[in-house]
Amino acid sequence: MARFLALLLAFVAACSPRPSARTLSITDDWGRTVALAAPARRIVSLSPSSTEILFALGLGPRVVGRTAFCDFPPAVRSVPDVGNGIEPNVEAVAARHPDLVVLYASAANRAADRGLAALHIPVAVLKLDDAADVVRAARRLAALAGVAGAADSLVVAFDASLRTVEAEAAARRVRQPRIYVDVWANPPMTVGQGSYLSEVLRAAGAVNSFGDLSASSAPVSLEAIAARDPDAVLVLAPDTASAPDLASRPGWDAVRAVREGRVLVVDASLYGRPGPRMPLAAADLARRIGNLRLGHGP
Amino acid sequence: MKRPTATAFFAGLVAAALAALALGVALGAAPIAPREVLLGLLRRGDPTATAIVWSLRLPRVALGFIVGGVLAVSGAALQALVRNPLADPYLLGLSGGAGLGAVLALAAGVVSAWALPAAAFLGALAAMLVVYRLAVVAGGALDSRILLLAGVVVGAFAGALLSGVLAVSEASQVKTATLWLMGGLGGVGWPGVVALAVYSAPAIAVLVAEARALNLLALGEEPAQHLGADVARTKRRVYVAASLLAAASVAAAGMIGFVGLVVPHAVRLLRGHDHRFLLPAAFVLGGTFLVLADTLARTVFAPLELPVGVVTAVVGVPIFAVLRRRWTSR
Repeated sequence: MARFLALLLAFVAACSPRPSARTLSITDDWGRTVALAAPARRIVSLSPSSTEILFALGLGPRVVGRTAFCDFPPAVRSVPDVGNGIEPNVEAVAARHPDLVVLYASAANRAADRGLAALHIPVAVLKLDDAADVVRAARRLAALAGVAGAADSLVVAFDASLRTVEAEAAARRVRQPRIYVDVWANPPMTVGQGSYLSEVLRAAGAVNSFGDLSASSAPVSLEAIAARDPDAVLVLAPDTASAPDLASRPGWDAVRAVREGRVLVVDASLYGRPGPRMPLAAADLARRIGNLRLGHGP
Repeated sequence: MKRPTATAFFAGLVAAALAALALGVALGAAPIAPREVLLGLLRRGDPTATAIVWSLRLPRVALGFIVGGVLAVSGAALQALVRNPLADPYLLGLSGGAGLGAVLALAAGVVSAWALPAAAFLGALAAMLVVYRLAVVAGGALDSRILLLAGVVVGAFAGALLSGVLAVSEASQVKTATLWLMGGLGGVGWPGVVALAVYSAPAIAVLVAEARALNLLALGEEPAQHLGADVARTKRRVYVAASLLAAASVAAAGMIGFVGLVVPHAVRLLRGHDHRFLLPAAFVLGGTFLVLADTLARTVFAPLELPVGVVTAVVGVPIFAVLRRRWTSR
């Protein structure tokens, strides 16, 4: 009789509704299937972008580990810091007892991926380099957390506000301002085509003055910057209060926009990483460009 | 074929230097017609062309000439000092010290344009003092072998610390530090050029004043002593002056390899070992070589820019090989 009851219980358990394996399975950006037995409840997020996305999905309370560079939203400060996101410390990650680790798709993360796999910790590797990546990452993270609906509303809001910014910028502008993006001063480094910042510029109704570079970021000659004569220079600063003074950099007075003071210093955390705040960055940039009153110009 | 006389050779070098300087000002990533460049030089042209010529090309070409010259002179003097053809301005621990100084400044969050060179200079200076101290403690009168060994050891120590700091600092800082250390002549304006020129002149003068003693030193320390050279004093002076030159050039332009190693050898192959001639000739040839290399670095992949150290190596090695072959096969 006891054996019959046990069999019956096992049968009932097998038939009872469980979270469907299909909704808890995604393909990550290294082309692997990531399948979870239960929705992720303890997530270690190893890039500032994925951390922002998780919080935007309302999954903040499930994030149990983050990188030292995750600084948004402010609530992340109460999440334990596990150090680097590129070549992370596998032990520090494992110590958080995660049931999902979100790893940035960098070749430097292969070893960490193998290390986590050896510890039987599920890993989702996500590419987070442009706006489309943000949308795809949001959908897949929501799927693994069993909250697919949250991704739908996030993506709808993201797309809608981005389109609004684009439409407003297009209606306002007289001509497309050309902007030089200052990623680093010496040697001067900027971003090229296909970069996230080029997308932010486009959404704000501007164009990257080095949009023809095939590399996503590259050192360029200061002389070429001067010759391309951008309408403004966009400087990403970790701390906008102690902003760099471009005119004091040797040689930068050769750039007309610098001579004439058309330098936009912006928050690197808002502008520099692909994430749900992209429409905010684009709107902020469109407003700043509007304030420059570039007029009809050449 | 006879070797040209000293005067003819030096005149040829100066002519080559002038041509290189002119080429460096005429060519760049921005396509500016020679006429526009001339108008720019007279400050009569289009404002952007004028700004490019005066704020970018002229200081860069001037800096390239001085840094190239300084590296070559420093290399020539150090090779004579340690009597080792492999010596170069970076061998004696200076590169490690400079790199460590720069990276520590970056890790401490220093962002000012002057802080990085200053920190590199201090790092190189610290390395120099430690090497000097080690060599004096061990050998009394700056034994060449001990000096070399101390330099390599201090360089390795600083390199290890540098790797450690890089490992625990932010990714963007690592990139910055690496790019800066690769070297380049871009980030310095007129004040930097003038500072380097004023600073280098006395150090070069000290080396030239020791040229005769360096010639004697080539015979060996004991013979040199018998022939009237104050060997200990010469070695001290040459070591300090050459190291200070290298430290300043690292501060101004990062680590540009190969100029200090190969240019002195090239002059020796062409004109022999007399340091009274070798040091000035190495200065002019080093300057010419670096200006030409930098012109290539600026133009070959414009608007992208190659690190100038890549060009000095890629162009320098074949030239050196040809010279070596030509002068030894006869």
